[in-house]
Order: sequence, then C-alpha cells, then structure tokens
Amino acid sequence: MMTIRRRLLLLLLPALALLMLLGGAFDYWVAIATTRNAYDRALANAAVALTATLSVENKRLRFNAPLAANAADGSIVFAIAGPDRALIAGTPGLFEGASAASRPVAGANYWDAQLLGQRWRVASVIAPTAAGPVRIAVAETLARRSRTQQVMLLGKLLIDFAELDVTLLLVWVAVYYGLRPLDRLTEQVEGHSARALQRFDEARVPGELRPLIVAFNRLLELLHDAAQAQQRFVADAAHQMRTPVAGLLAQLELLLNESRAGAVSAQLGAVQRGIQQLARSANQLLALARAEPLVQEQFGPVALKTLVEQLVERYLDRADKAGIDLGADTLATSVQGNAALLEDLLENLIDNALKYAPSGGHVTVRSGLEGSQPYLEVEDDGPGIPESERGRVRERFYRLPGSAGIGCGLGLAIVDEIARVHGADFQIGSAAAGRGARMRVRFRAAA
Amino acid sequence: MRILLVEDNELVADAIVRGLAHAGFTVDHALSAERARAALHTEHFDLAVVDIGLPAEDGLSLLGALRQEGQAMPVLILTARDTLADKIRAFDLGADDFLMKPFEQAELAARCRALIRRASLAPSGIVRLGRMTIDLSGHQLQIDSQPVELTRREWLVLESLAHNIGRIVTKDRLMQALAGWEQDLTANAVETHISRLRAKLGAAALIRTVRGLGYRLDEVGETPR
Repeated sequence: MMTIRRRLLLLLLPALALLMLLGGAFDYWVAIATTRNAYDRALANAAVALTATLSVENKRLRFNAPLAANAADGSIVFAIAGPDRALIAGTPGLFEGASAASRPVAGANYWDAQLLGQRWRVASVIAPTAAGPVRIAVAETLARRSRTQQVMLLGKLLIDFAELDVTLLLVWVAVYYGLRPLDRLTEQVEGHSARALQRFDEARVPGELRPLIVAFNRLLELLHDAAQAQQRFVADAAHQMRTPVAGLLAQLELLLNESRAGAVSAQLGAVQRGIQQLARSANQLLALARAEPLVQEQFGPVALKTLVEQLVERYLDRADKAGIDLGADTLATSVQGNAALLEDLLENLIDNALKYAPSGGHVTVRSGLEGSQPYLEVEDDGPGIPESERGRVRERFYRLPGSAGIGCGLGLAIVDEIARVHGADFQIGSAAAGRGARMRVRFRAAA
Repeated sequence: MRILLVEDNELVADAIVRGLAHAGFTVDHALSAERARAALHTEHFDLAVVDIGLPAEDGLSLLGALRQEGQAMPVLILTARDTLADKIRAFDLGADDFLMKPFEQAELAARCRALIRRASLAPSGIVRLGRMTIDLSGHQLQIDSQPVELTRREWLVLESLAHNIGRIVTKDRLMQALAGWEQDLTANAVETHISRLRAKLGAAALIRTVRGLGYRLDEVGETPR
C-alpha cells in the first residue's frame, strides 16, 4: 500500500542521497585543487629559497650546496641553470619539457615531468642575479602528493558517508514523527463506534487535516439527523400499527367470550393468534429499529434488580397460564444503559424462555455479578439450544428447525443487538442442570 | 363504578367500552380531550382511561390539565408509543398506571379494578377482596362477615399485601414491615408468618409465592384460570 510516509521517504531519500554524493564529489575536487596549489606553492618557495645558495664571484655563478639540498629519500630534486641555460647544479634533464606543459602562476612555472623512471611535479622560478637571470627548478615525485591526497580522499568520503547516513536517518525520523497526527487520527477513527455518531474534535487535529475532519463531522451530523428521523418514524409507525391491532384484538377477545362464538371459536382463536403474531413481529421490528444509533446518548444508570422484579411481575400471569413456575434470583447491581432497551432485551429473553419451557417447568430470571461484571440471565428447563445452532439463532428471522409455536425469529437477534449497543456480550449456554437454555448478557464492569 | 374512556380510535374504543361493561363497569366514551373535560366538569368518574394519541390536544396534556385543576381521580394512560420519555412524562404528570397497546381485555379490567380499589382505600381504609374485608384503619379482618383473629405479625404481613393487591411485595419489604417487632429477623420467619396467614385465610384469598422475589395477594378466581 502506498502510504504518505512511504511516498515522502521515496521522494526524499534518493534525492538526498544523490545530492550528498554530488556534494562529496565537489568537495573532493576542491580538496584536490587546494592541495595541489599548496604543494605547488611550497615547491616554488623551495625554488626561491635556493636563490640564496647562489653567489656571483668574478661574474661567474657559484652554487653553495646546502647540507640537505636533496631529500634523503630522493623524492625531491632540484636543478639550477645559468643565463646560458647551462646546468650549474642539480639533477640534469629537469628543465626538459618545460615549455610544452608549463603553466605560469604567480611568477612560477609548473609542469609534470617524467624523469628517472618516476613522475614528477616541477616548479621553476627565474631569479635575477648580477650574472643575469638564473632558472631554478625544484621537483617532487607525484607519488608523494598522491599519498597525501589518498588520505584526504578517504577521510572526506568517510565524513560524507557518515553525513549521508545521519541525514537519511534524520529525514526518516522527521517523516515518521511528522506524520504521527495522522496515525493518531486513524486510531481515533478506528476506535470510533459507528453507532455513537460522535463528532471528532476539530481543535485537536493538524491544520492540513481540519478540512477533512470538518467535512467528516458534517457527514456525521447528517447521519445523526437521519437516525433521529428514523427513530421518529419508528415511533410514529408503532403508533399507527398498534392502535388498529389493539382494536382488532380487543374486539376478538369480546367475540370469543360471547356464547354465540361457540361454532366459530376455533377459527376466531386462529385469527387471534395470527393477529397476536403480527403484533409481536411489529413490536420486535420496532425494537430492532430502536436499538440503532443514538441510544448511547440516552444512557444512564439502570438498576438490574428492579428491572428483573418489574418484568417477572409483568410475565407472572402468562407463566401461570402456561403452568410454568417463573421466579427470580436477584442481586442489587446496576449498569450504564438505556432503560427502555434493556427492558426490551429482558422481555425477549423471558418471552423466549416461557415459549420453550414445558408446562410444569421452571424459568428463572437473574441479576448478578460475574467477577466485577454485572449480568442479566434467564434460565429455562426447556429443550435448550444445541451448540451448533447457538451462532445462528442470533441471526434475524432464523428459527430453530422444528420449533413450534408463534414467533418470527427476531427475539434473540434483538437481544444480541441491544447487548452490542451496550458493549455487553450475549452468551447462549446450557442450564446448570444440563437441560434447557441459559442466556446470559454480561455487561462491562462499572468504571 | 364509572369509568371515562378518552380514545379517538373507534375500533379500540368500542371494544374497551363493551369489554369493561362486561367486567361490570359503567363506561362513558369521549372522542377528544375537549369532550372529556366537558364530561369531567359535569359528572363524577371513579377512573379515567386516557389514550395519549388524541387529535388536537393529546392525552398527556389533558392529564396535566386535570391534575392542575386538582382532579385526584386515578388515571390510566393508554398508549401505542412505548418510548421511555412518554412513560416518564406520564408518571411525572400524575398518571397512576400505564398500559401499552395492544393489551388484553382481562388485563385492562384487572388494572382498572386495582386502581379504583386503591383510590377508595385512602378515604375509607377498607379493602374488599372476594369474601374478605380488610379494615386497615381498624386493624380488623373479616371473612364472610366473620372476624378472624390475627397475631400482630400476621396482621403486618397482611397489611403490606393488602396495600398492593395484585402486585408483588418483596420479601425485603415484608422484613422491613416486621423489623420493628422482631429482632434478628430471618427470611424464614417471613415464610412462617405467611404460611400461618395462609392457613387462617383458607380458601378466601390466595397468597401466591413468587419464587425468589416475594408474595402477591390475589383475589381467588381473579388470577386467570
């Protein structure tokens, strides 16, 4: 994947490396030129110094050899020629080739020469004497200065490479840390619950990213508005649907209680069950729609014990009718959540348990603590849910194969959805006795 | 006992009027808040059943206005909207009970009966439940007009239950009611008093055990089948 970081490094690092190499080459060339000039000047100075060894006696030049005119290792030689170009002292042949390659700089001439099987650098000056101009040349083997230059070159290259490494490292570190705000933003976006629809803090992002975040926040606001509109629609739809359904069911109940219903009571009963199923499905669909975004805005403390007591009370008559012993086992504990949704959640769990527990069976609703995590739990002694089906029963509209009675397969999907909104996990297990289902919704520990 | 029903949906209203009449109530029906107010100004009702979704003025606003005027009659709010906000607002405005549509006729009738019973309890202090008459201020229990002797503790238990007929009274609450009379009270002691009370009530009333929660006093025959 082409990241901005990689892109910056790919653009910067080769260009910088090339620049550093060119700089190194230039430095080297300057260093060579400087050392050559310095060596040349030293040679010319040596030549000028040799004029002091000359004296004129009877209009004849005389050379008074200094003690160490030639270097001990033979790497420096000299030659002195009189006005008649005759060699007065020093190494013969030094002036050969002078005219061809000479280069006059500041009163001295310089050239390279081949002599005695070696390459030499020659500097010559012309010194005026009473006997006329004298040419003095001093030569040094090129090997000598190239040794010096090699040492310089090596040092220069080492420094250049160190500089290159440090520069590249600094660029890499700068790019890495310069882009940290992007990483932080990425983490923020990733950690952002899609359900919360919370705005990002515009003040805390770098200027370059602000327009993006502003646009993003605008989008979130639109989503938030849409979600609100959806919730209003759900509430309206609920009202529009429930009122006629309530009318139908109430009328049917009256009809069924009348003696003349006798002949058609079986059909009326079927119609009643159908409408009840319709009402339940509508309720459950609405409950699902309600568990969508926004609800985290309406979170508050919900006492689980009170919730259990209220719902057991509400379902007691239905349990009596079905011949099921509905009971509770409560511990006073509370969670942060949406009271209406948690009511939906527990209602669906109890409804489900009452549907599957046999007549004479037991359903127990619990609130408690698992470690420091509060939980709600409903246990029944019905047929239970086989392990292989425990994932699928959470899906919308999925029903266990062969399950009887009314239902549209939304109950556990709603529980799953509401648990998710609360950051809780919904566990489907077996009852303690090994028979029946145990549904537990475990919430996060209170912060 | 007279009930005012405020409901704009004819299908629902018709069924409720007939259903409650069948359960022994006299029901007047108003289609709007305005008509309900007119009826309430001229007649006496023991209970009002009010739908939230009414045309023009909704049921909650009618409820608020009634309580403002000092109407103390119990009000049962009927609604098709089950948002928590509506429920909280209804109770804040002075609703006595809240029932979601769709509902069962038997449930509505039972709740109406409980509300009227509770409202009449305050002035008279007398609760009538099937064959029982419980005189809460006179501390007397009669079954079929025959006085029944109760110990002080049995009476405290019955009193708590009678204040909440048809509702669960938790074991904790019963223990609190007895706390002034017994030190080191155990949950077992509550069970003992309950079972003695049951023996004395016989078939006249049913004290139902709700496993893990507490007890509920039911009229015999009032619990469905």
